[in-house]
Amino acid sequence: MAGAATAGRARGLPLLFAALLAWGAGGFAAYKEYRSPFPPPGEIHVPPQGAAGDMFALAFGARRVFADLWFVRLMQYYGTADLSEHEAHAAGGSHQGCSHGADFGGGNYPLFLPLARHILEIDPGFVSAGLYGAGALAFNINRTTEAEELLAYGLRYSPKEWKYLNVLAAIGYSKAGNPAAVAEQIQPLLKEPECPVMLKQLSAFLNKKAGNYAAAAVIYADIAATSHDAAYVENARRELSRLAGRTEK
Amino acid sequence: MRNFLPLAWAVAVNSFVESVRHRFFTLFSVFAFTAIYASLLAGVMAVDQEARVLADLGLALMELTALAYVLFQVSSSLLKEAETKTIYLVFSRPVPRGAYLAGKMGGVMLTAAFMLAVMGCMHLALLSFRGFPPPEAYAWALAGSFFKLAVITAFAFFVSLFSTSSVSTLVISGIMWTLGHFVSETRFIAEQAPGVKAALLKGAILLIPNLQLFNARDAAGVTGALSPTAVFSGAAWILAAYFASLWLLARKEF
Repeated sequence: MAGAATAGRARGLPLLFAALLAWGAGGFAAYKEYRSPFPPPGEIHVPPQGAAGDMFALAFGARRVFADLWFVRLMQYYGTADLSEHEAHAAGGSHQGCSHGADFGGGNYPLFLPLARHILEIDPGFVSAGLYGAGALAFNINRTTEAEELLAYGLRYSPKEWKYLNVLAAIGYSKAGNPAAVAEQIQPLLKEPECPVMLKQLSAFLNKKAGNYAAAAVIYADIAATSHDAAYVENARRELSRLAGRTEK
Repeated sequence: MRNFLPLAWAVAVNSFVESVRHRFFTLFSVFAFTAIYASLLAGVMAVDQEARVLADLGLALMELTALAYVLFQVSSSLLKEAETKTIYLVFSRPVPRGAYLAGKMGGVMLTAAFMLAVMGCMHLALLSFRGFPPPEAYAWALAGSFFKLAVITAFAFFVSLFSTSSVSTLVISGIMWTLGHFVSETRFIAEQAPGVKAALLKGAILLIPNLQLFNARDAAGVTGALSPTAVFSGAAWILAAYFASLWLLARKEF
């Protein structure tokens, strides 16, 4: 009886050997093939109260979802200060100086760069977030160096991303005080689905300032038709009605 | 041996029907629908990135819901059959243990595929309801999730054959799931580490199935096709777990 059991176990050994061989083959092929497209963990600078989320992002292979959530947090952060400003003005009975136009979001946001960079650290493929962050930093908050830093980081993992290069060039023209060239650089981005509405708004504003009312109207119409951001849509409609009577320079 | 495939298929279909009829399946379906529907809220908060957020959150929730149900099924499946003595009835007939095991694994994998397909339809309907087209390479993202679930299912079967309770199977498989997603980080640490530490970490990488290989839904911003190597590795890991499970099953006396 014991002999039969021993014989049974011996018959099972090829199975064990086959299992080890197959597991090793799978592991070896994966090791040879796989190169992570993501930044290494040492590059992830976790903003306050974000460590647990980042842990889940890595542990569940859910980088995109957590990058999305960080993007929502960035937008909430970017919206909050301006809303407070707006509410303070409303309480004072005057909206004078309220920034709802081209300067929307022109407040002081010390955590903007770390939050925007963190999105790219989690998911460097989130081009919209990179463009949104760089655009806001460069053209709304007027921190061009930080915008360039963010774009440089984005380009490290997406070196062929022409949209980053275009915004980088636009920032250069902006620094040189050439708004027409800024608008020209941003122009090709406007047709892209990743183009943040804020850059569209900037382009429309620059075109309007330069007297290109027809071009500005086209962009405002696009914003009004495609954006889900009520503030931008409302502003675009208002601008469209203003532009209706104007003629080109 | 000639009857291996028909027998395995019969067990798989039986196992699939049983798991779909389970009351927990309805519970999980309701949960999945609620969770995917709730992702609408996050989508609205993302304003102009609503389509991306809805797609990402939906895909992640679908995968996690299917994972939870699949692990629940695997951890209780063989244990329950042994407890209720059903397994004796099966093995008293001319059913090879290999066919039985393949059928059981296949049944759970069919359930995973079915869940992903149903939830995928729900998700696409929701996206369409919000006016968005299906995300790029959506089918690949689902295929990747299925491969991950198939690998972890096979591994969980192996664990369930030596673990003493369903909870330990759940915990060990859950840990493997997590480690499987950490392989690229482990590799980075191994490349920085000196001498023996590096060798140990590299050895660990070979032992842990790299689930990031199948993570098409997360692939650097653009969901893409699974590589042939990913498919080969996945098949090898499933086969390995099957052989190892069969080795354990062959040693058990029923």
